[in-house]
Amino acid sequence: MEKKRAIRYTVCFGILFVLILIFTALNICIGSVKIALPDVFDVFFKNSADEVTGTIVLNIRFPRTLAVLILGGALSLSGYLLQTFFHNPIAGPFVLGISSGAKMCVALVMVFLAGNALKINSATLIFAAFVGAMISMGFVLLMTKRAQTMARLIVCGVMIGYICSAITELVVTFAQDADIVNLHNWSRGSFSGQTWENVRIMAIVVFIAFVLIFIMAKPLYAYSLGESYAMNLGVNIKVLRVLIVLLSGLLSACIVAFAGPISFVGIAAPHLVRKIFNTDKPIIMIPACFMGGSVFCLFCDLLARNLLSPTELNISTVTAVFGAPIVIIILLNKKGRAEQ
Amino acid sequence: MSVLKTDKLNVGYNKKVLIHDIDLCIEKGEILTLIGPNGAGKSTILKTIARQLDNLGGNVYVDEKDYSKIGGNEFAKKMAVMFTGKVKSEMLSCGDIVATGRYPYTGHFGLLSKEDKEEVAKAMELVNISDIKDNDFSKISDGQRQRVMLARAVCQDTDIIILDEPTSFLDIKYKLEFVSIIKKLTKEKNLTVIMSLHELEIAKKISDKIVCVKGDRIDKYGTPDEIFKDEYIRELYDIDDTKMSENIDILKI
Repeated sequence: MEKKRAIRYTVCFGILFVLILIFTALNICIGSVKIALPDVFDVFFKNSADEVTGTIVLNIRFPRTLAVLILGGALSLSGYLLQTFFHNPIAGPFVLGISSGAKMCVALVMVFLAGNALKINSATLIFAAFVGAMISMGFVLLMTKRAQTMARLIVCGVMIGYICSAITELVVTFAQDADIVNLHNWSRGSFSGQTWENVRIMAIVVFIAFVLIFIMAKPLYAYSLGESYAMNLGVNIKVLRVLIVLLSGLLSACIVAFAGPISFVGIAAPHLVRKIFNTDKPIIMIPACFMGGSVFCLFCDLLARNLLSPTELNISTVTAVFGAPIVIIILLNKKGRAEQ
Repeated sequence: MSVLKTDKLNVGYNKKVLIHDIDLCIEKGEILTLIGPNGAGKSTILKTIARQLDNLGGNVYVDEKDYSKIGGNEFAKKMAVMFTGKVKSEMLSCGDIVATGRYPYTGHFGLLSKEDKEEVAKAMELVNISDIKDNDFSKISDGQRQRVMLARAVCQDTDIIILDEPTSFLDIKYKLEFVSIIKKLTKEKNLTVIMSLHELEIAKKISDKIVCVKGDRIDKYGTPDEIFKDEYIRELYDIDDTKMSENIDILKI
């Protein structure tokens, strides 16, 4: 059995890795201009392709694909952390209103700073998003004391999300015409327009967060039994809780700063990964969730770009179509088990 | 030498003392059982001894050391716990759950060594759950679940195990089976068990010492023979004969 499990894990990781490669290739090749795979290799290794193809691959599709890969993974991981934290399989940055809080702060910063003709760098945006994420998280934590059940917590989170979105809309209405177009697209979630500079920063932030989370795998495992058991095993609960909140907030903030709020990936991807791997052990789940989130988002972004080409769909539209049913399934399964 | 000793210990929630001046002394291999009416504060005492709640006065000595001065990891090697609340877990096998007991002994990433795996297997053997090692923890019966949690505490390899109402979800067959396993543990591994129970008959048979918790104090503390005599139990649980027969009459309808 030990061996069987090890084989299962290896095979699953292998499949996820291959899927990432396949979808990365598809994302680079397919688009309003189709590029054959050999041409893509030419661009990377020989520099022999024509200039237009080179520009499309290197400056548009490749950075975008990398951004989707990194942010998708981050989103899924952030969802996994929140699920572990709340012992609730349908917790996630979007349903708990954390993404919307981050969105609100970023919109405020964008509108007011842009109005003063200041250039906003990505570090400022991440910071603003982080502050927003922490504000929402603060409210959610306050409510967990009163809302003990899973469903209530989620409803409260969704309401916080609506409030934040309303404020964002209000801000957008007051923004100047030129900003609105950008803001509007972004506030609904989109991976478009990623520069290499963005990719570099998000890679650094997400990488650091990932390493820290991976180091926390052991206490997270103890925590999954509940706080009293973790405490008995010598885990410093207070420190662990603070770290989970900060890191999941940082990941959510990073996603919102670059791509806006993206729905359901944080719940759907970890759930699917859990089912495929048939375990909830953090040491397996942390890397697996990251890879699963990447695959999920690469797939969704591919559809978002090409389904109604040349018009681009919001990424949340696509992720919701695939993610929301999964949430419903989880909820229904939960109920079925409780009644047994 | 006492394994665990409390000295004028005060326990309670939110800085409010519920029970004061608790003096207990437990030797190695003994079973100490807390009995008393619902809400008397049995769990509060157990949680305070296990450092889950702040100590509100007095002190606890584990192996004659001040328990607040023992590091988290070291303390985890001295005392294991099992609480009443159901563990909500997703997609973890019983073996995985038991293995968390090895936490204080594993390295930084919590990977199990060969020795750890042997300890897990031994603990599961001891409580007769080796056959459900690979079953999903959320899909087994309550009786099995309690035994898995006990195996988890056993493989933590401590001198003391604290059990908070370990038999409450079980039917009579599992109750008896569970306490016989506990008795076996104290004999074979020389474990010290501190637990709370509702079943007085079981408490009487299995315990070396019994603590009666009532109101804001320890009402009585002694061997089962000293506790279970005369009208004391009626007094402890406030059972009024005339009221009792009235209640029974109502039940007959």
